[in-house]
Amino acid sequence: MSHDFSTVREYTLAKGGRLLLAPTSARDLVVIEGSVYGGPNMLPRERAVLPALAASLLDAGTTKRSKAALREALAAKGISLSFSAAGDRTLFSGQCFPEDLQALLKTVVECLSQASFPEAEVKNAKTLAHGALAEEKSKTRARAERALAALIYDEGHPNHLRSIEADERGVQSLRRADFQKFRTQLGRGGLIVSIAGDVTPTVAKAAVEKAFAPLSKGTETPSPKTLNTKVPGARETLVPIADKANIDVVMGVSLPVTLAHPLYHPLLLVVDALGGGFTSHLMQTIRDRDGLTYGVYARLSGVRADTDGYLKINASFTPDRYAESVQKLRDEIALFLSEGMTDVVLEETKARMIGSYLVALATTESMATALHSLGIQGQPLSYLGEYTDILRRITLAEARAAAALIDVDKLALAASGTFKKK
Amino acid sequence: MAKAKQIKEVVPGVRFVREAGGISEYELESNGLQILLAPDTATPVVGVMVTYCVGSRNEATGYTGATHLLEHLMFKGSKNFNKDNGGIMSNLLENKGARINATTSYDRTNYYEIIPKELLATSLAFEADRMQHAFIHESDRVTEMPVVRSEFEIFENRPDFVLTKEIWATAFQAHPYHHEVIGWRSDIEKVPIERLQQFYRDFYRPDNATVTIAGDLDVRETLAMVARAFGEHERPEAPLPPMYTTEPSQEGERRVVVKRAGDTNLLGIGYKIPEATHADLPALLMLSLMLTDGKTSRLYRALVDAGIATDAAAECYQLRDPALFMIYVTLAPKRTHESVERLLKAEIAKIVSKGVTASELTRAKQTVRAYIAARRDGPYALLSAINEEIASGDWTRFVTFPEALAKVTPKQVQAVAKKYLVEDQSTVGYFVAKGL
Repeated sequence: MSHDFSTVREYTLAKGGRLLLAPTSARDLVVIEGSVYGGPNMLPRERAVLPALAASLLDAGTTKRSKAALREALAAKGISLSFSAAGDRTLFSGQCFPEDLQALLKTVVECLSQASFPEAEVKNAKTLAHGALAEEKSKTRARAERALAALIYDEGHPNHLRSIEADERGVQSLRRADFQKFRTQLGRGGLIVSIAGDVTPTVAKAAVEKAFAPLSKGTETPSPKTLNTKVPGARETLVPIADKANIDVVMGVSLPVTLAHPLYHPLLLVVDALGGGFTSHLMQTIRDRDGLTYGVYARLSGVRADTDGYLKINASFTPDRYAESVQKLRDEIALFLSEGMTDVVLEETKARMIGSYLVALATTESMATALHSLGIQGQPLSYLGEYTDILRRITLAEARAAAALIDVDKLALAASGTFKKK
Repeated sequence: MAKAKQIKEVVPGVRFVREAGGISEYELESNGLQILLAPDTATPVVGVMVTYCVGSRNEATGYTGATHLLEHLMFKGSKNFNKDNGGIMSNLLENKGARINATTSYDRTNYYEIIPKELLATSLAFEADRMQHAFIHESDRVTEMPVVRSEFEIFENRPDFVLTKEIWATAFQAHPYHHEVIGWRSDIEKVPIERLQQFYRDFYRPDNATVTIAGDLDVRETLAMVARAFGEHERPEAPLPPMYTTEPSQEGERRVVVKRAGDTNLLGIGYKIPEATHADLPALLMLSLMLTDGKTSRLYRALVDAGIATDAAAECYQLRDPALFMIYVTLAPKRTHESVERLLKAEIAKIVSKGVTASELTRAKQTVRAYIAARRDGPYALLSAINEEIASGDWTRFVTFPEALAKVTPKQVQAVAKKYLVEDQSTVGYFVAKGL
C-alpha cells in the first residue's frame, strides 16, 4: 500500500514560519494545528505551570473583545479552538467550516497577541487548576507517570516532572502580571501552522499570510537543553492510594537518544516490536499467554530534536498478583531485548508500522497532527513519504544495536494503587 | 438507484434494498445478512465492521458481562483461522498494518478492521468464519477472564465510571440497562463456558448481523466478496431470543451515594428519556448540547466559568430502549454536593420556565453540522457512526436524525426539558471523596 502525498504542500511564510497544507477528501471540514515558541521548558522550573494556565486563558478575553463576545463569535460559526502548552511551545488546535478559516486564524492571532488575562479569569483558572491537580492525586496512572519521571531524570531535564504539591505551590504563586509578561513571548518565533481538510492551498496560504501578519516577533529561539545527568538505576517508587481496584505500573529507562541519533528509527522499531500493539511481544506474552493484564504497552517517549528521551512501559495489574506480574514483565522485557529481534520479527514489525502509519493518515485530523509534528521535529516535508522507506531499510544488525541501547538492569519502576500488605 | 439495480443483476443472491445518504443497503438473500456499502476512493484504505445486535441488554443475572467476555474470546481463533493452520487472523492482519479491534455496548457488539484495500477479501473471510465457527473454548476463557477482570478493575478505578454505574443500577431495576456493559465482577469471574457458547449460538448469526464496508471499494466486487464469504451460512430456523423486559414506571426521585478515597467530588443526575427512535430525541440531543457543549453552553458558564465546578458534561443516551439523559459535574475544591445540585437544578428550571434562545439553538446546530462533517472523515468514523444507528434499530437514522435535528425549534427544546428533566423521573448520585 502507498499513500499519495503529492497534494501536500509546504510554504515559507513571508514574515517567517512554516505552513503545511494537506487538502483531503473531507467535505465541510478544516482542521488546523499550530504552535509558536513559549512553553514550560523556557521558564524556571518553579514557573513550569504558567504556560498551561496562560494557554487556558488566551481565549478568555482580549484587549479587543470580552470573553463572552469572543467565544460566542466562535460558537456562532461552529468553530472550535483550544490552546495548550508543552515543551518549548504554546499550541493551538482548531476546527471550522471551509468558509470560516480566515475567522479562525484571525482569532488565533488575536488570542496570542492581545489576550488580556482579566483578574477574575486568572482567579478562576487557578481554581480550576487546583481542582485538576486534586483530581490527579487519585489517578493511579498519572501518579505513577510523575513518579517515574522523577526517578529517571534530573530536575533540570525537560522530561522531569515535578510533584503535584510543587505544581500546587506554583499555581498558587501566579499573578496576573506573570501571565501578561509571558504573553509577550508569544509571537512568530517558531511558528508552524498545519491545515488539512476541505481547503484550496492558495486560498488557505493567503488566509494564513493575512491573519498572521500582525503577529510580533516574540521569542525566536527555543531554550538550550542539557542531556540527562541522572545515572540510570533500577530504582523503585510505590505511590499508595486507597480504594483502588488495580495497580498502574510504569517502567522506564532514559536513553541517550535524540531525533538525530543514527539508531533513532531502529529504536522506534524495537520498541514497537516489544510493546506496540496486540501482536507485540509483551501483549502476546503478558496479556494473551499469561492473562496478567488488560494492556501492556511500550513506547519511546520524550524524544525531540534537542531532547534525549526514554523507553516507557505501561501496564495495569491486579493487586493480588502484583509482585508476580512485575517479575514476569521484567523477565519478558529482558528476554525480548536479548533474543527477540529476529529476521521474522523485524520484517513483521516493519510491515505493521508502515501499514499502520498509512492507515492512521486516512483522517483529516491525523494528517493535520502529523504535519504539525513534522514541523516541530524540524523535518522536511519529504519525511512524510520517506518515513516508510527509512523503516524498510532498517537491518537486523541496526535493530539489535538499538536493542542494546536499553539496559534492562537499569529499568526503574513506579507503581500506584492499593497494595496488599506483605 | 438505477446503478444499484444493475448491480443486483450481476451479483447473484444479493438483493438491493435501499439507498440513503450515499450508503446502499443490500441483503444476502440466502441467510438475511444485511450489507451496507459506503464507497469513498479518496484513500487506499477500507474499513470493515460487523455489527451484531447483541449487547448487555441481552444479559441477565449470572451472566452480566457475557457479551463483552465473548467479544474477547472471538479473537482466540476459528475453524479456518487459528494457531494450528497459519495463525490467528487478527494478528496476521495487524502485522500488515491493519487497525483491528472490537467494542461492546448496551445494544450491540462490533468487530472491525481498517485495512489496506488489498486485504478486504481476507478480512471478510475472517469475519465470516468467526461468525459461525469461532472457538469458544474453556481453556481460552481461563486465560482471558483475568484480562477482562483487569479491564473491569481499570474502570473501577475511575470515580466517574463508578458513579455512572451506581446511577444506572438505581434508575433501572428490571431492565438490563441496570448493569454496566462490562458486568458485575462475580459474573465475569464465574460465568460458565457453556453459557457463553449458548450466547454465541443464540446471537452470532447472519440475520442478526450487518456487514458495513466503507472506503476505497468497488461495489460489484465487494458484494461478490461478501456473498462468497458469508454465503455458506444458513438462515437459522429458530427465532432470536426476545428481550421482553420493560422497566416499570419510576414513582419518585431516587438517590445514591458512593464514598471512596479521593480528593474530587462528583455529582451526577440521570433523567429517564425514551428510546432512540422516539420523536422527542432530536430536541433532547439539542438540549444536551446547549447545556454543556463548549464554553458558551449554559452549565459551562454557570458552573465552570463561575469557579463552582471544574467540568460539566451532559449525555443524551440514544439506545434501543428507554434510557437516561445524564448530567455530570465535577465539583471545584471546597464546594458541596448540595449547593452544586441546587445550582444545577436552578439552571434546568430556567430552561423549563423561560426556554432557550434562538442563538443558543443556532450554536447547537453548528455543532451538529461539524459533527456531520467529522463522522465522514475516514472509514472508522463513518463505520462507527452507522454502527450506532444499526444498534438503535434503524441505520437510516444516520441520514434522518441530522435532518430532524435541523428542524428542532426553541419551543421543542423547552418542551422536552419540561417533560423529561423532572425530579420524579430522576436519579441523583453523589461521589463523595473521603480524602487521601
